[in-house]
Amino acid sequence: MPILWMVIGSLKTETELFSSPLALPAAPAWANYASLFQQFHFGIATLNSVEISLGVVVISVLLGGMAAYGFSRYPFRGSRLLLSGLLITRMVTPAALVVPLYLIMNALGLLNNVISIILGVGVLNLPLVVWILRPFFDALPREVEEAGLLDGLSPFGVFWRIAVPLAAPGLLTVALLSFIAAWTDLLFPISFSTTVDATPLTAQLLQMQTGYKIYWGSLMAGGIYLTLPTLVVSFALQKYLVRGMRLGY
Amino acid sequence: MSSRRQVRGDRSRGPAAGFLTWNRRVQLTGLGLTLPALVFAFALMVYPVANVVFLSFHQYSPLRSAQTTDAGISNYAWLAASDIVRHSIGVTVVFTVVSVAIEMGVGLVLATLLAKLVVESRQLFGRVLSRALLSCFIVPFAAPPIAGAIAWKMLLHPQFGPVDAILRSDIAWFSQFPLASVIAADAWKTTPFVLFLLFAAILSIDPDQYEAARLDGANGWQEFRFLTLPSIMPVLAVVAAFRAVDAFTKIFDVVFVTTGGGPGNDTQVFPLLIWRTAFDFLNFGQASALAVVAVLVSAALGAALLAVRRLSPA
Repeated sequence: MPILWMVIGSLKTETELFSSPLALPAAPAWANYASLFQQFHFGIATLNSVEISLGVVVISVLLGGMAAYGFSRYPFRGSRLLLSGLLITRMVTPAALVVPLYLIMNALGLLNNVISIILGVGVLNLPLVVWILRPFFDALPREVEEAGLLDGLSPFGVFWRIAVPLAAPGLLTVALLSFIAAWTDLLFPISFSTTVDATPLTAQLLQMQTGYKIYWGSLMAGGIYLTLPTLVVSFALQKYLVRGMRLGY
Repeated sequence: MSSRRQVRGDRSRGPAAGFLTWNRRVQLTGLGLTLPALVFAFALMVYPVANVVFLSFHQYSPLRSAQTTDAGISNYAWLAASDIVRHSIGVTVVFTVVSVAIEMGVGLVLATLLAKLVVESRQLFGRVLSRALLSCFIVPFAAPPIAGAIAWKMLLHPQFGPVDAILRSDIAWFSQFPLASVIAADAWKTTPFVLFLLFAAILSIDPDQYEAARLDGANGWQEFRFLTLPSIMPVLAVVAAFRAVDAFTKIFDVVFVTTGGGPGNDTQVFPLLIWRTAFDFLNFGQASALAVVAVLVSAALGAALLAVRRLSPA
């Protein structure tokens, strides 16, 4: 498996890497990992990645959850059309949207700011969230919610106190997928940020491939560092991830 | 549908029919719940798309001038006449067709074998093994595309990549066979998705049908050909359509990291062409015209996919 090979490669020194491609490292060369923080600003990049991921997850789950429930339970005039429109935007080429968004973020003075990345990734992620959650809300038993209404809860109270807890597995699935989308996104960072202060891990990794030298050891160590959180979360929540795949297409 | 009507019927007697009529309140709640998302999507999706249409008829190159000047249809004329654009679309189509074909093929074979392992092994060992194998396939799916791309770049590296070391060759895969290498890296990443969906579809087939087939004397291949395949056909069709749309519209990271579109323009897929026109050549007018084409194509594909999905009971 390529990722496994990358783990091995990340622990080799540069000489080992080039002289004996198939051999295991003599002793683990942790220097590659140290270089991430000393040379390639991985400390601040990690912080940026965390901020971006949190922002996207909050936006996705909050706005997407509300919208999905609204579309599911409170259809209004034109809501079907709006829903189809929203779902179709899921297919929009991200690179096409990045061009005008860049100009908007520039006008708002948000370039080189993680907020621009959060907004970009968030809006592209939103359709997927609604796509997954609406059928999920559709499938919840209506009787419980009706009982809540009769007990004097407002429609919003029913959503917040009854539907949200019932839909917790769905919301968790969506949060997980949103996290992976935000954590792994490359397009928006390379488009919106040129300063170290607003660059997450994905874009920072590319700094190791310069025109005249590729820092292979650091590159692989960085790749592993970037991959690890997604793998840990995915294995811990494997059931939800597979459900997300099944609902998400 | 019927239960919804029933609820609405009850609402005249509902508890909160005070100052607003119940129907009105339901409408407002629906609007209130969906409005934030709609405003968000409108501001950052619909408005930008409108903006991109506007820009596509103008010239805007921030390096040369901060002004947008009217360009008529010149950006579209360039687009229609450009060999680079035509080539890029060709590359993207080839990429999409070949990589989806590989994903579906490999995914189908693996899903069938894994499902067989689960169904036929009564011992714990077989079940644990198949679960473990399935878990392994989570890795490519969850790993960041950029990390996968770096891993493949190293695997296929002419000097220290294990592939060349085993073959005792020094083929620079990403320059000598760029498109094939990119497709390999992408298929590795996306096949698990296909595998998981088909695996679930196969497991949901009624086991009695296999029993019946066996009593009729069907061999393994016949079972697959006349029972498994027809049963999962609807899922297969939707997954293939979904993957095709996704591959066509979203291929970016892997190419960006491994070949950067090169050598020459050999792997310059359409999303990458848009991005480079805007951010490398800073020609936002031409990039916008390309983006408009991309949005139109993806909207058409998206609508087609919604239709396919509705037709099939998957």
